[in-house]
Amino acid sequence: MKKLLAVALAVAMLLGIMSFASADEPVVLKVASIWSAETEANRAPMLKTLAEFEEAHPEIKLEVEWYEANAWKDQGETLALSDSLPDVFYWNAGGVLWNLVSSGDILAMDEYLTDEIKDRLIGGALANMTFDGKVYQLPYTNACSCLYCNTELFEKYNVKIPETLDELYEAVKAFKAAGVTPMALGGGDKWPTNMYTDLITLRFVGDAAARACYYKTEGATFKTQDWIDGMTAFKTLIDLGAFPDDALSLTRDESEVPYFAGEIPMYVHGQWFSGSLSEEMQQKVKAVKFPAVGKGHDNEWMGGPAEGFSISAHTEHPAEAFVAAQFLAEHQSKNGFECGAGLPAWKTDVQCGNPVMNQIAEQVAVGDSLLLWGNTALSGDDATLIGDTVYDVLAGKTTPEQWCEDMETIFAK
Amino acid sequence: MKRVLSNKWNIMVFVLPTVLFFTYIVIFPIFKTLWYSLLNEIPAKVGDQSHVVWLDNFIKMFTPGRRNSFPGAVGNSLLYAVLSIFVQLPFSMFIALLLANGVKGESFYRNVFFIPVVISSVVVSLLWGRLYKSLLPQMFESFGWTIPKNGFLGNETTKIWFSFLPSLWQYVGYHMLLMYGALKSIPDDIIEAATVDGASGAKLAFRIQIPMIKPMLKVCLSFSLIGSFKLFDTPWVLLERSNMDLPALSMYVEMFSNHKYSYASAQAIFIVLECLVFTVLLNIVFKDRDERRLARGKGAARA
Repeated sequence: MKKLLAVALAVAMLLGIMSFASADEPVVLKVASIWSAETEANRAPMLKTLAEFEEAHPEIKLEVEWYEANAWKDQGETLALSDSLPDVFYWNAGGVLWNLVSSGDILAMDEYLTDEIKDRLIGGALANMTFDGKVYQLPYTNACSCLYCNTELFEKYNVKIPETLDELYEAVKAFKAAGVTPMALGGGDKWPTNMYTDLITLRFVGDAAARACYYKTEGATFKTQDWIDGMTAFKTLIDLGAFPDDALSLTRDESEVPYFAGEIPMYVHGQWFSGSLSEEMQQKVKAVKFPAVGKGHDNEWMGGPAEGFSISAHTEHPAEAFVAAQFLAEHQSKNGFECGAGLPAWKTDVQCGNPVMNQIAEQVAVGDSLLLWGNTALSGDDATLIGDTVYDVLAGKTTPEQWCEDMETIFAK
Repeated sequence: MKRVLSNKWNIMVFVLPTVLFFTYIVIFPIFKTLWYSLLNEIPAKVGDQSHVVWLDNFIKMFTPGRRNSFPGAVGNSLLYAVLSIFVQLPFSMFIALLLANGVKGESFYRNVFFIPVVISSVVVSLLWGRLYKSLLPQMFESFGWTIPKNGFLGNETTKIWFSFLPSLWQYVGYHMLLMYGALKSIPDDIIEAATVDGASGAKLAFRIQIPMIKPMLKVCLSFSLIGSFKLFDTPWVLLERSNMDLPALSMYVEMFSNHKYSYASAQAIFIVLECLVFTVLLNIVFKDRDERRLARGKGAARA
């Protein structure tokens, strides 16, 4: 009897300890983030965001895994196939997000997303993350691409910062004649080339027609003279020798090294690039909108809220995961803007210390429209196609007319 | 022990767990992939919406089209196989013969040639990438030679050769070691007898040593062929993911970038079949040669 009593007491104590322990144990969430490299502009703000989260939410423990952006895209797609995505993870918006939403891998946030939280976002911030009326992601940045000009080199070679396409051609010729590679481009990664072609074609085609094509609206077509003219303008830049001789061999980060070193005067890239500039370079670089063509689309921009944090549909802690995703998105937006890594997607009163980012913010604020990049708006093999085809144009394998024919095939599916 | 193993039930009990495990992780996925390859394009986890389209995905793979790169990818893998067989293996054989016939520092050289094999393919690719992107262009510039347009890895003509080179280089040591081991296992008395009969150098190699390691050559050929059809990692890293047409790269892009699971499964099945067909062909070629040689031997004995 004594033994039985002792065992019963021991079991009761054990259960008591276990219940006490579980009550105090924080919920552990797995988080996947890009920005694994110390040089990434968003890395420092993300570390600050995580520290802020740790302080604000001791009841939730985040276990963060860092990836390189392309590596995470592959890894994420693979994990999705086996329902093993982390609880909260970085992901692109638009068609890339739709890939995972359509296969049932991402949790709709509407149950947790209150109007009060929505009001803290900038207008239209959820447009690229909403499918069938449900929100699947919270953005941390409002993106856009522009032309970065190294004013020191422009002054040194007495070249005017281009405001029109013809002036851009002249600038390219002038730099080329001086033995300077005019524009940086990492064509090996494909998507940096899309940054150029999207903006150039936008000037010719305009937001409405380009939007119709990228979102595959009925009646949209790439087989118009405007699309051909846009791609021909890009081809002209190639023929003028605007890009490095080995552009097709270079990755994005490799291609940026000479720009950081002050050897290349121009670069078309996303706003996040300004956060990678050293303080010294921030004083030299001027961010301007891509040169005008005079077809009525000269104040239109490529970008918009294109990245954010999503929640796995298979998470065991959806409520806590939402708290984490919302916190990471909002605070990363603030911290990223504060240190000049990105434009905010959430309303904030913090000031940005990066003059280049402020230039972009001012210009985008008065822009006519923001259109998501083609390779982000399109999904699956359509997104692959737009990357492959601009690679082929850069390689001289495809003419602007053939590019339009190739892209037109996305409507045949 | 003998008594235990003579009972087939006992053997079955010992082998069954491994067979079941192997079936679950290898055989079952192959048949599942085969099944997917016969279906229409489906969202990954919504199999119940699919229907059988039989060989449509396989026909699509080889339907001519401006942007259908799969036939070209197969052609590239065959080119790599040819380079492996006619460049890599003879070079490996040459080194193996040199080392097996006794050179000063034999063990040192053997290890040196084997070092690339133990290095990760990613590291090898990054090293060669640096070579192609900085060292080689600098060398070309200093000699006044013309660098290929768009760089060594961007030029449409040169990139295939330059991206194959690291893999070919990396596995020379692997084949060399296999051949070296086989050459070393040839009994000394045979070599001595041949030497006494006046055979040396090339004659000894071509008449005695190489014929005697034929089973190992077959193994090397099989590995080379299968490796060629599966080639993935080095071009993937060296050429920034998918900038070259190879069957395994195409399969990966179709599966993970384009979400064409059925089409990618069909490509996977094609790669498996391609490996099987060439392995069988290799067996037939070697078997025929053996039989012909046996027949010649019997004929000579009768005469």
